Amino acid sequence: MFSSSDIKQEAEKRALDTTDQEIIGKAIEDGIETAWERFALQQPQCGFGQLGVCCNNCAMGPCRIDPYGGKPSHGVCGANVDTIVSRNLLDDLSVGAAAHSDHGREVVEVLLETAEGKSEGYRICDEEKLKRVAEEYGIGTAGRSKEDIAKDLALGMLAEFGSVKGFIQMAERAPDKTKAIWTEFGITPRGIDREIVEAMHRVHMGVDADFINILLHAMRTALADGWGGSMIATDCSDILFGTPKPLTSWANLGTLSTDKVNVVLHGHNPLLSEMIVQAVEDPELKKYAIEKGAKGINLVGMCCTGNELLMRSGIPIAGNVLDQELAIATGAVEAMVVDYQCIFPSIPATAGCYHTKVVTTSRKAKIPGTQYMEFSAETALSTAKEIIRLAIDNYPNRNLDRVRIPGKPMKVMAGFSEEEIRKALGGTYKPLIDAIVAGQIKGVVGIVGCNHPRIKQDYGHVTLAKELIKRNILVVETGCAAIACGKAGLLLPEAADNAGSRLKAVCNLLGIPPVLHMGSCVDNSRILVMASMVAKELGVSIGDLPLGGAAPEWYSQKALPIGTYFVASGVYTVLGIPPKIFGSKNVLNLLAEGLKGITNSAFAVEPDPVKAADLLEEEINRKRAALGI
Amino acid sequence: MKTVFVRQDRCVGCRHCEIACAVEHSESKDLFQVFTEEKPSHPRIHVESVDNYLSFPNRCRHCDPAPCMQVCPTRALSRDEATGSVLVSYTRCIQCSVCAMACPFGIITFQQVRQLESDREVNAKCDNCIGRLSENRIPACAEACKTGALEFGDVNDLIKETRADLTMRLIRSQGSDIQGPAMPDNIRAYKAVMETIANL
Ligand code: SF4
Ligand code: SF4
Ligand code: SF4
Ligand code: SF4
Repeated sequence: MFSSSDIKQEAEKRALDTTDQEIIGKAIEDGIETAWERFALQQPQCGFGQLGVCCNNCAMGPCRIDPYGGKPSHGVCGANVDTIVSRNLLDDLSVGAAAHSDHGREVVEVLLETAEGKSEGYRICDEEKLKRVAEEYGIGTAGRSKEDIAKDLALGMLAEFGSVKGFIQMAERAPDKTKAIWTEFGITPRGIDREIVEAMHRVHMGVDADFINILLHAMRTALADGWGGSMIATDCSDILFGTPKPLTSWANLGTLSTDKVNVVLHGHNPLLSEMIVQAVEDPELKKYAIEKGAKGINLVGMCCTGNELLMRSGIPIAGNVLDQELAIATGAVEAMVVDYQCIFPSIPATAGCYHTKVVTTSRKAKIPGTQYMEFSAETALSTAKEIIRLAIDNYPNRNLDRVRIPGKPMKVMAGFSEEEIRKALGGTYKPLIDAIVAGQIKGVVGIVGCNHPRIKQDYGHVTLAKELIKRNILVVETGCAAIACGKAGLLLPEAADNAGSRLKAVCNLLGIPPVLHMGSCVDNSRILVMASMVAKELGVSIGDLPLGGAAPEWYSQKALPIGTYFVASGVYTVLGIPPKIFGSKNVLNLLAEGLKGITNSAFAVEPDPVKAADLLEEEINRKRAALGI
Repeated sequence: MKTVFVRQDRCVGCRHCEIACAVEHSESKDLFQVFTEEKPSHPRIHVESVDNYLSFPNRCRHCDPAPCMQVCPTRALSRDEATGSVLVSYTRCIQCSVCAMACPFGIITFQQVRQLESDREVNAKCDNCIGRLSENRIPACAEACKTGALEFGDVNDLIKETRADLTMRLIRSQGSDIQGPAMPDNIRAYKAVMETIANL
């Protein structure tokens, strides 16, 4: 279908990174279907859906509204375009909030089992953080064993999911002025599951029809995610596996090995993957790999599981969400181990073209055509070892004629948890504030989110990050955005050469990259905590700070609560892909303009990363001026 | 003359017209059965896209004179005088595809049709929903389209609407940049975003 020059051109159109391009070329030659092919086959995509004006909520539907203002203007039930668009948004957002929060709950459950001595392989790694968080929960720590404290803390965190308590402890971390805004508009989250269940209730036919009321609840649900489910996921994972510290490692598809057993850990939760990191240290397994002709075992991460492992253990990261099929197409992957979220259901079909075995591990995420090896805390380490054994057994099946590992891996620096950033600054945010006041750092922008086949893979993330650092704006990143900048070499102290002279001087002084990798998508909570601490130090709200957020290539429902809790917390956020709300003028106006009067922040949609940088810089300047700096 | 008039700028690419067309030409005329029929019916209208966001519903124009009719060596194509529709006699069609070469719109596709016993794929072009027209109903595609991209009616009336839009824009704007009512701002904004993405 493609000539070789066509293949090169097509690969360059699809991805920014040259190692990705090389494997895209191979995938085309090998006849592998990827998300890009499927995206093309889906054109044209339904405009009713894209504009958010299709309601498929009840059996009288689906109903759709004429976006040009003609008939039909109402669903069978009488819902108008504002109701339908806002309700669809709440629905998608709640799915995202549920995904983050359910992940968080699993980590708390393992913390509880570990405290009770019922888990295998886990231990409480960061006792200091355990105590600090326990104290926030009013749990006594003096003279108590860490297991006792952890048990109380886990129970306290599990209570956040219900509705008896009526507030979320972690949201207390927000500055008073930010909390006052939430109280005034009735969007303080009361419980994680509660907000999500209430959202589902409101979406039912004939419940909430007022788009403003619906969007306010969307904000509350998002806050329950950011300051609840996601924050719990981050803090509990730190307690169990250690709070990340700066370290160096490697990124891109070149992290796969030519002569070792390659295991790709893909998905989101660190629970199983951390056990796999332990399992590969087993001398028997190491010996077994050698017996099977390999030089050892090579673990690499992908997507947010990859970020979790990179941040804490320095495990190299092979790529972001559009890399999952490409990793397999190298022909060099013995096993891809997945838990949940962002796993293409096509993976077993791709794997079927090579020798790769796909292992599913979560009761809630089974995929036909994969090997299912159930993960549970009681047997986690044994399961992890079994999975590694399976990968080793598969090594002799690797077909060397079909293997291509591209280029060289790119060095990356990661591990910037909030605690470590603060420590690097000497224990308080005072030096950062001084640098911002002095204009050494103009402001800080969080670039987050996924890849999307509509945009050249990583182009949005990398171009925006480069634009911002050039303008002396410090960039913090999570998720697939961070992986994109890792592949592009921006997560290195040397990358400060691309920064404006003032930011460059700060980076050189501290020996840090101008783009800081703060973790996985749930770790956006680290950004919230950092913003809170700075705001508290200044006695202002988060909305007063010269901050911005961006999701240049987002696709996932999870990006909706992230963007919304950023905005609801006061952070202006630019999206590179339009959310499905353009069918309603009112919803669009409220999110782009109306919120400014409430949270002093808003959403904008701007796919062009240079123009997005302009918008973010303008917002930062506006906030600096208001602060008188 | 009655026709299905296409307003491309209103097409949102939902392909509802395609589904309605396939259902209309199936044996059961039932969405839930059409895919299990022995010779599944396929759309005769084709919604295609450019740059992943602009779409165009391409439908037979029932031209008069019709290039396809003029070239068909077996006279498989004929005109229904009452409705102006260009129709195919499936038994006469010899699959030579000369009609498809002559059609300036590329709308002819070859399919198996339930009306034939054999498995031959014949010219299965749009028949203007002639059965529906005889019952005073409008073509299935136009009925399915909820955005006004496909409108059935007297061609001069439909053109007049476009003319009225233009007149309104010209007179209202009086040389300034005030726009007429044709496209809501939010949809214009959406299209601008998609255009930016397409040009990145
Ligand atoms: S809830 Fe209303 S708009 Fe939605 S499908 Fe049912 S009837 Fe239609
Ligand atoms: S098939 Fe093509 S040439 Fe024939 S009437 Fe239709 S549009 Fe015209
Ligand atoms: S393919 Fe059939 S309808 Fe078309 S010109 Fe040939 S015989 Fe006529
Ligand atoms: S039904 Fe209308 S809007 Fe939808 S694809 Fe067809 S012509 Fe376009």
